[in-house]
Amino acid sequence: MNRMNRITTCFDNLRAKKRAALIPFITAGDPNSEMTVSLMHTLVEAGANVIELGVPFSDPVADGPVIQRASERAVSKGIGLRDVLDIVKTFRAQNQTTPVVLMGYFNPIEIMGYETFVQTAQSVGVDGILTVDLPPEEVTEFTTLLRSHEIASIFLVAPTTATERIKRLCLQAEGYLYYVSVKGVTGSANLDVMAVADKVAEIRQYTDLPIGVGFGIKNAESAAKIAKISDAVIVGSALVQLVETEPQDKLLGTIGTFLRELREATDAP
Amino acid sequence: MFFENKNKSILRIRVKICGITRPQDAILAAKAGADAIGLVFYDKSPRTVSVAQAQTILQTLPPFVTVVGLFVDADPAFVSDILTQVPLDILQFHGEEPPDYCLQFHKPYIKAVRIRPDIDILAFIKRYTHAKALLLDSYVQGVKGGTGIVFNWQQVPAHLSKPIIVAGGLTVDNVSQAIQTLRPYAVDVSSGVESTKGIKNADKMAAFMKGVSITMAKTSDTKKVPDAYGHFGPYGGSFVPETLIQPLEELQQAYEHYVKDSTFLAEFNDDLHHYVGRPSPLYHAARWSEQLGGAQIYLKREDLNHTGAHKINNTIGQALLAKRMGKTRIIAETGAGQHGVATATVAARFGMECVVYMGAKDIERQAINVYRMRLLGAEVCAVNSGSKTLKDALNEAMRDWVTNIDNTFYIIGTVAGPHPYPVMVRDFQAVIGRETRQQIKILAGRFPDILIACVGGGSNAIGLFYPFLDDQKITMYGVEAAGEGLETGRHAAPLNTGKPGVLHGNRTYLMTDDNGQILETHSISAGLDYPGVGPEHAWLKDNGRVQYVAVTDNEALNAFHDLTRLEGIIPALESSHALAYCKKIAPTLEKNKIIVVNLSGRGDKDIHTVATLEGITI
Repeated sequence: MNRMNRITTCFDNLRAKKRAALIPFITAGDPNSEMTVSLMHTLVEAGANVIELGVPFSDPVADGPVIQRASERAVSKGIGLRDVLDIVKTFRAQNQTTPVVLMGYFNPIEIMGYETFVQTAQSVGVDGILTVDLPPEEVTEFTTLLRSHEIASIFLVAPTTATERIKRLCLQAEGYLYYVSVKGVTGSANLDVMAVADKVAEIRQYTDLPIGVGFGIKNAESAAKIAKISDAVIVGSALVQLVETEPQDKLLGTIGTFLRELREATDAP
Repeated sequence: MFFENKNKSILRIRVKICGITRPQDAILAAKAGADAIGLVFYDKSPRTVSVAQAQTILQTLPPFVTVVGLFVDADPAFVSDILTQVPLDILQFHGEEPPDYCLQFHKPYIKAVRIRPDIDILAFIKRYTHAKALLLDSYVQGVKGGTGIVFNWQQVPAHLSKPIIVAGGLTVDNVSQAIQTLRPYAVDVSSGVESTKGIKNADKMAAFMKGVSITMAKTSDTKKVPDAYGHFGPYGGSFVPETLIQPLEELQQAYEHYVKDSTFLAEFNDDLHHYVGRPSPLYHAARWSEQLGGAQIYLKREDLNHTGAHKINNTIGQALLAKRMGKTRIIAETGAGQHGVATATVAARFGMECVVYMGAKDIERQAINVYRMRLLGAEVCAVNSGSKTLKDALNEAMRDWVTNIDNTFYIIGTVAGPHPYPVMVRDFQAVIGRETRQQIKILAGRFPDILIACVGGGSNAIGLFYPFLDDQKITMYGVEAAGEGLETGRHAAPLNTGKPGVLHGNRTYLMTDDNGQILETHSISAGLDYPGVGPEHAWLKDNGRVQYVAVTDNEALNAFHDLTRLEGIIPALESSHALAYCKKIAPTLEKNKIIVVNLSGRGDKDIHTVATLEGITI
């Protein structure tokens, strides 16, 4: 299956059913690579439509304490971009349909080299890339490569993004747009659903792409609210927190239960 | 390259005003100085004209204004028919017309390219070999002809073989940036100079032309780096999360405005004089020079500034800017605590809330500076993530900024970070080099042969070097921290051993492993203990203008003692790195050679570190 289409097909199917996508984020390599693969399968079984896989980085400036600690744990075990690509490869051996988006920072890609990274990402079955510290102004060569390898460039829109810029982002975006629901880092507390709804409606004027909302959704209640006003509910820190606190033998069960709750909330009429 | 502007030619940018529908607008366009007008022969456009309209317009048009006819996927017979009735100079094809089609009218033509993210502009140029120029416009699905939307200028490769005409959403507000980014042959404006669709506005046309003229003068005049997005060659730029893009644009606009504002500059200079104590002396270290037996060494005494280092030059500038931008809360990162103290100092003076982020490890090593900041009313936040040093303090400050952008101004302490920080901090620190130029002329009667400064992030070094960059005869050395030795891996010398990567908002040389993780650094001097370096230094390394060397902890310590004993000046351990390199080369030079070393800070803060190393408890 064509990769860009893996994301498109997923959203088309959901749109037909009038349902929002549920997109869990976990940090790759936390607590270890094998567990990450198992967690990905568990998330899919519990209702995940797309998986965002965090690439561990030593200096995650856009992340709050929970994902920072997860990143630190993975980095301390030596998990890097190559290992993350291996994780996707292992996952793809059993799952060829669920889109996987890598989310992280630019330096690991810069150091690996654009060509090597993009080729490997394509061959292991990565569907999209979201580079937090790479605004579209800086991406010429890299995005061209992503496109020629059928990997979607996913961009963030923030509460501070001006209208003119939203228009330009919409012209360049692929896969889905990721609306950062709060001014702050991942896992921030104060989600203002009304304000998010307004901004999503504004973005909607300029694109037909699905619009996902993340940063600050931590339970079934907030997931239900966001599902009503957007096309995708993205949940990260709340899951990563469970990975940190749950004993490993119970982790898959707990994560599955939590995600099913979010799934039900997301699908609630 | 960087210095080719020595024999600069004046940049000339032509202007086409497109979508003229009335004779009076054509006259006004010519009067405003337009080089060309565009007539639209496309009936789906609100600016389309009939043959009769076009004829009337051309009858009144003064000479020497080129008339361009715009067509979109028109029937060839239609184009030929227009050509027999309207004397067009050039055709502009704005649809999907293939090269053969464009050629058949035996008229010079321009081909419009709509910039989609995946467009290959080079292939396009090859395909339309006969086109006189390419007109770049935005791609909007379903819209042909002009779009009025700005495309991603960064997507256009530099040095194209055909002249480029920029179109798409140009206005008086963005044309300057478009010219600086793309260096086009011409710019094309339509809706940006209109009152309503198809009706041009005289004032807007005049303002637009003025904007172009000013930019031409300015662009011919300035160095080619950085570009409008803060790129020094491949380095610099703005690699930040989306939330920070808008605040950085606001900061850039405010900075560009105030850096030319005489009231702002007067206040800045007044503060540098009366509060900081500038100009700082340039001191001939005669005894040390004699002892080394070679070149004459002059020390730029930034250690005598208020708060004891060069850092305050920058914090004053940024705090004045913060005040004008209406920000009430200041944040900063600090390593050794010098920048933290300088920030807390100006925050106290301007009555602003101040939070300083400092690595937990640095808080332990620099207890005195931590207490100084607290005395000044700042909150010092310990950062316990990562390596618990300067880079982690920077991460945490950026997180704070993302969260509190509405009321908070982030005072970055060095020439790193996203655009415009590297430029802004450099400009505030350049007072060091400007004063040195005057002082050395008075003291020695001529410019120095060599400049030396230590480089962590590199703000004191760029401050000294920048005003001298065009003086090609002057050799410059930036001195990094070799820590326990470059070969041991325990150092902080990215320019000597690192490779280009992206950290803290810019591309620069970094100490990074194969996974792209940032490495922990080591230096006796907390102020140099940083895995990156300002992007302008990366650029100056690559183009060879500045040589970057490194000295070890021990070499720096020896120089620290020499200066203290021979000249009665206790230097900061950071500055001791510059002194240590001076000590290496001064003896190899003739006695009539002149070296200026930037003595960037005083060493009082380091007395504990030095004592501890020597087994002394105080």
